[in-house]
Amino acid sequence: MMQLTSNTNWETIDKHLIKTEHDIVNVRQQIRFCAKQLNMGIINQTRITTAVSELLRNMYNYGEGGEVLIQKGMVDEHNALIITCSDQGPGIDNLELAMSDGYTSGKGMGYGLPGAKRLVDRFEIESEKNKGTIVRIMKWN
Amino acid sequence: MGETHNIQRIKERINNIEDVLASVAAGDNEARINSETEDDLSGIEAAIDLLIDDLTDELIQREKMQKEVEDKLSKIQEQQKTIFQQQADLMELSSPVSKVWDNVLILPVIGTLDSQRTQIMMENLLEKIVETGCTISILDITGVPTVDTQVANHLLKTVTSARLLGAECIISGISPAIAQTIVHLGIDLSSIKTKATLQDAMIYAMKQNKLSENVKLQTLFTDPDENED
Ligand SMILES: Nc1ncnc2c1ncn2[C@@H]1O[C@H](COP(=O)(O)OP(=O)(O)OP(=O)(O)O)[C@@H](O)[C@H]1O
Ligand SMILES: [Mg+2]
Repeated sequence: MMQLTSNTNWETIDKHLIKTEHDIVNVRQQIRFCAKQLNMGIINQTRITTAVSELLRNMYNYGEGGEVLIQKGMVDEHNALIITCSDQGPGIDNLELAMSDGYTSGKGMGYGLPGAKRLVDRFEIESEKNKGTIVRIMKWN
Repeated sequence: MGETHNIQRIKERINNIEDVLASVAAGDNEARINSETEDDLSGIEAAIDLLIDDLTDELIQREKMQKEVEDKLSKIQEQQKTIFQQQADLMELSSPVSKVWDNVLILPVIGTLDSQRTQIMMENLLEKIVETGCTISILDITGVPTVDTQVANHLLKTVTSARLLGAECIISGISPAIAQTIVHLGIDLSSIKTKATLQDAMIYAMKQNKLSENVKLQTLFTDPDENED
């Protein structure tokens, strides 16, 4: 299983529970704001916001909701925005399959996870059946 | 004889104390021992009365606070109801479909597209297509800040449904940042006619309109027998 990168020097910006679609909208707005504060351009703001949107939606759709942690800090000499989404849902049985383009177990398009990965600078995922899923993504400024 | 009488008396007073405590426990805030005798036991009785005073004071305070909290809660619930109602109203308002000119419908989308709103938007658009018989509709998403896979999926479905009703649906207002993001997500929107701005979409719609009028004119002037295949 993959180990999530972490660092005690990262500064926590905020933390939210995701229970409704409305929470998704709010967090998305905050992510865009944080990206702007970190001097990201409009393209990177849009990328990280969209990637987070994918993760939050998955959490909402498959993980019975969850928690999102927003942090900033240094990663490999980059100034990074670090977002961690964790849920205690059913977990993902086959990560390789879930990460492949076009795979969906529901009625989605199956581009959420692989798409989010392409939109960010670092993408880490950990999942255990019946325990839950954690996805940590990072975007350099 | 005096001794037994005394013991009997004390027993009665202890029973009384027990009764009073039981009443207090059962919620009687007024019950007190109010001993009239002056002896060793009456000190304890007075102390118990004081304790009951304190206890009932606290209880009354707590009940008052609880009532306040309950009042506030019901007020909040009331407000929440209003908010939900307003949200519902806003949703209806924020998907206005209008016929801008002959044969062309425009649906400007502003704000976030959650699944509920998209549903209403799609229904509104399809209804209007049927109602007006327009064959071109423009869905302008200039005001949509985030297009993720779910929104893209909804857009594709809307366009496909419109097509089934015989209307072409053009999506306009995809910013360069959103266009790039959609490509990175891996979503293929090539089956949809897209235009950068609402203006571009309108110009395109007008041209389409002219084209179809020309076709109509042509068919009017050509011999119908020749056209059959
Ligand atoms: N947090 C999660 N908990 C459990 N399963 C998940 C979670 N996230 C994703 N999955 C599983 O992985 C699959 C792929 O996810 P992905 O986001 O790529 O596609 P999708 O959500 O099905 O569709 P789309 O995101 O394109 O609308 C999902 O269909 C689901 O089965
Ligand atoms: Mg998804």
